[in-house]
Amino acid sequence: MVGFVYVTLGLMYRQIFQASDLTRDAEYQTQRIVIRPPARGLIFDRNKQPLVENRVRWRVKADLMVLQPEIRKEYLKLLSQAKQENFFDKPDYDKLLENARVNILNRWLSKIWFVVDDNYQLNKTRTNKVYPLRDNPERRVNIDSLRKHLRESRAMKFTLISDLAFPGSTISKTPEEGDRAIARFIEQFPSGGPITLESDMVRSYPNGSLAAHVLGYVRDTDELPPNSEEFTDPILKRLQKLRYTGKKGAAGIEETMDYALRGTSGWELWNKTSTGYNKELVQSTSPVQGSEVVLTLNLNIQKAAEETLSNIRDSVGRPLPGAAVMLDVNTGEILAMASQPNFNPNRLADRVTNKYYDEIESAGGWLNRATQGLYAPGSTFKIITAIAGMRNHKVDWDDVLDCGAFYRVGNRNFPEHEPVGFGPVDVEKMLAISCNVWNYRVGLSVGPELLALEARRFGLDRPLLKNLNPSDTSKTYNYELPSTAKGMVIPDPDYKARIGGGAWNQGDTANTSIGQGFLLTTPLHMACFAASLARGETITTPTLIPTGGAKVAHIGSQPIGLNRLQLEAIRSGMYRCVEEGTAKSVRIPGLPYVAKTGTAEYFKTGVKAHLAWIIGYAPADRPVVAFAVLVEGQLDTSTWGGKTAGPVAQEMLKAWADIR
Amino acid sequence: MDKNRQGAKASYVALAVFIAAWVVLPSAFRRFNREAFAEFQAPALQLLSKGRDLSRYWELRSRTDEELISASRDLSRINAALELKLQGTDDMRRENSRLREMLRYPTSSEYLTVVARVVSRDTSSWWQSIIIRKGRNDGIRPGAPVVFGNHVIGRISVVHQNVSEVDLITSPTFRCTAFLDGDEPPRIVHVGGMAGNSLSAPRAKISVIPPGYSPPAGEVTKVITTGLGGVFPAGLIIGTIEGEVSKTPEANFKEAFMVPSKELDRIDEVSVLIPKYPSPGEILMSPGEFLKLEEFK
Amino acid sequence: MTHRGAWFLLLLATYPWLLGVDLLSSSLASWGLCFFISGAVIVTPCRRLRRWQCILFAASIGFLFEALRPIPDGSVALVLVFLSIYIHSYREALRSQSHVFFASMIANALVTLVWVVVAHVQCDAASSVDTFTFLYLAFVQVGLSAVLAALLISPISAVQNWAMDAIGLPAAELNR
Repeated sequence: MVGFVYVTLGLMYRQIFQASDLTRDAEYQTQRIVIRPPARGLIFDRNKQPLVENRVRWRVKADLMVLQPEIRKEYLKLLSQAKQENFFDKPDYDKLLENARVNILNRWLSKIWFVVDDNYQLNKTRTNKVYPLRDNPERRVNIDSLRKHLRESRAMKFTLISDLAFPGSTISKTPEEGDRAIARFIEQFPSGGPITLESDMVRSYPNGSLAAHVLGYVRDTDELPPNSEEFTDPILKRLQKLRYTGKKGAAGIEETMDYALRGTSGWELWNKTSTGYNKELVQSTSPVQGSEVVLTLNLNIQKAAEETLSNIRDSVGRPLPGAAVMLDVNTGEILAMASQPNFNPNRLADRVTNKYYDEIESAGGWLNRATQGLYAPGSTFKIITAIAGMRNHKVDWDDVLDCGAFYRVGNRNFPEHEPVGFGPVDVEKMLAISCNVWNYRVGLSVGPELLALEARRFGLDRPLLKNLNPSDTSKTYNYELPSTAKGMVIPDPDYKARIGGGAWNQGDTANTSIGQGFLLTTPLHMACFAASLARGETITTPTLIPTGGAKVAHIGSQPIGLNRLQLEAIRSGMYRCVEEGTAKSVRIPGLPYVAKTGTAEYFKTGVKAHLAWIIGYAPADRPVVAFAVLVEGQLDTSTWGGKTAGPVAQEMLKAWADIR
Repeated sequence: MDKNRQGAKASYVALAVFIAAWVVLPSAFRRFNREAFAEFQAPALQLLSKGRDLSRYWELRSRTDEELISASRDLSRINAALELKLQGTDDMRRENSRLREMLRYPTSSEYLTVVARVVSRDTSSWWQSIIIRKGRNDGIRPGAPVVFGNHVIGRISVVHQNVSEVDLITSPTFRCTAFLDGDEPPRIVHVGGMAGNSLSAPRAKISVIPPGYSPPAGEVTKVITTGLGGVFPAGLIIGTIEGEVSKTPEANFKEAFMVPSKELDRIDEVSVLIPKYPSPGEILMSPGEFLKLEEFK
Repeated sequence: MTHRGAWFLLLLATYPWLLGVDLLSSSLASWGLCFFISGAVIVTPCRRLRRWQCILFAASIGFLFEALRPIPDGSVALVLVFLSIYIHSYREALRSQSHVFFASMIANALVTLVWVVVAHVQCDAASSVDTFTFLYLAFVQVGLSAVLAALLISPISAVQNWAMDAIGLPAAELNR
């Protein structure tokens, strides 16, 4: 009796007082939150031409569960074959099973390719036989990914073809062919079998590898874009949350502007009834697409730069590494920034296949040579030597120095690049013909400290692409592009002592005065220097984000400190360089521009090779754009500033003139 | 009575054995069995359809002279209008072929057209098909598109001697690709029947609509064949979008419902477009043909 | 005495009913429902046909339904055969007209349920149709079949009995 009362009271208590708690507990079990991914923001060039988009990806998958009987049958067949061949040895059962799986999947793949391949379509007269699987090994089952799939996600469908309409792959060369492949599969491949087609959205770079170093690529991440609201409600906080695999920028603008591009995740609160059927949506917020990013790049100039750059090849036909930059003289907006070798971010959008990653790695394709490559500026540095000479009154614009075939510094002869020497040379002529001896003499008379001071005044060793306007101060995105170079070197006696190179000598000064020796800077720095020179100032702040036409403060910039005649001498020297000097081969009729070429020696794996430089601005009288081009010569190539790097500048200028 | 139950037991065992046999039997046998029973019904279905034609004929016979005269007047008016249109069409055809020649564009006559009457319609929540009065004897092949004018009706699913089954576009087994009106440049979307979702008029579902797409305002949005898949010629109307184009739960894509452009349960006559050359999909449907291809061995 | 071909003659006599129901489906196609009677027509013959004849009869009825529809081969036919064996073993009960009535309703509804389920599994819709909708549609379809059987069993039964009389099969009371 007592027990009965106790039980009754207990039940009453539970019913009345705990009821609300219990129902809430029940809700936890039957509700869950599903986090929904936002679409990533798009990236455009300055004229709103798409540089980065999102596109539909179609993947063909096989349901291994449904295929099980077929695989079993094949396995038994293989087993009996193995027994027949060698009755006494114990066959490797795992190997046989794997072979059976591979055989069956290949059989289905052959059917898929039969439907999709262009060779078998209506009224195609087949002249020569194509073996869709045999000729294209990558169309077969990838055994490694099958093994990985069985290890990690056995219950899921196995991806047979990860991107049916991927432009540029062996499947389809053009978007149109990609569409055909999808349409053929949907309309012709028998439905209802173990093979299904699924679609999702992936990052797409419509111009392929164009501006790859600026744009970057995306990769998988578990770090999701933030939700529109944090789950502060304790009930929501406790619920199970289903996440997705997100994407984050892994290089370039994709990385540095990830905070803007990634958008905001949405979430949904779903109810399941006790039977597990009929889910219903209780509450939801939709994901918000990431913001659009407009860059200062100009698609046409970028294309011209990359095409010409990729056409510079070594003796065996491989493209030479190089970089090209063009920027707006007044605003510092970068119109083109190319680096060779590059990579195709489309192929990295899914998951980086080790093979492709290694390919890029071994070719040195990850390096953005425009912002990260450190090079001796070579003869392009002679402009600075001249400015230093004139500002320190060691030489004036109309002083003529006698320049022989070499100049003796200490006990060593520093040669001219012309065997007989140039005779009388002034600033203007020096820049046109790139006389070395003039620079040895001026450089030595200025001295290493003042020479270095002059180079620093032009910012050749200060990090560039600082983010002027970071909208997210909490992040460490101080730069518009990730890991821009910080190891620039403007040598002076202190520097040499610091690196343990011993005492500074006259030879070091002579080397520095012609842009060799310890000097290291990037193509972007040299382009900025050209832009500063065009404006008659010292500093140009380059940027990839449009300044909106507002008056730009080039922070720290000051007047160049030369009188009109001195500046005129430098400019006309660089003008003569194009008209009659070292860049004569790349002059553009109708578009007068100024330039200075350079050919620096450097040591590539211990052997001497040449760097080809050209920097300048255009038009000569009223400068609008400045440029710098660098090409790394190989050991066996004859690389000369005007001849090798010049055409890239020429094509960029032509492209710019076309759209002017 | 007991004897009867005893016998039944034996029959159950026999049935169980037969079911087991049925499962392991070669599929060719089952196919033959199905074909045989279909052919058994075919004459009756044909007879029925012919009877319907006949009754229609007698119904027309019973019309009064007045009715016939007015009908004939209407017809001659329509005829005159069509004549005029035909004139224009001839010019356009000439222009078209001239342009095609200039562009070396392949001619579109890759199909033979066979007109067929509808024998019966068979719709349920799990299949949507019609049976037409043309079959293997008339050159009908499985997979061939079935149209009415420039409207898509469905595809041939099974071909018998004198009748064929047509899988309608609202049938769950139907799928094709399409372009949507107002999508510039056009992007491929997926159309699949989805009869099984309600008892109201069956629909198809358009999926994988790119998220940036929105239908032209104030207009009926047509769904048009792409002509890329090698089955349907380009530019045929599959249907129109019904209701709004909404985002999928994943918010990756949009999707929409589509109503067929023709009332599929009323249609009396259709054309079958038989491709001159079999498509790979058609070859796949007859396994023997595929295995004959040396490249795929 | 039994006629070896009796089941086939009976099939011919029954077929117009099947055809008629198909015709009904066809003209009411906008309803989106399949009118189905094949389950009901096997009941009456079980009273007078021998068991093997019943089995053949039921199998043929089933295959006829399947032949023009995307249902897995044999699913309807084999269920009908099973039902006919079962009904045949309780054939004495069928002497009462009300038993025939209920037997046909249940048989028809049961077979409908079977083909609805297999058709659902067969077609791709299985993945997209949610369970609730499926249960609703199946309920409507099964209900329709039961109602149709109730409406039509009397005339069908009359015709089949007449046909069996004409063939010269012994009456049910004598058939042991």
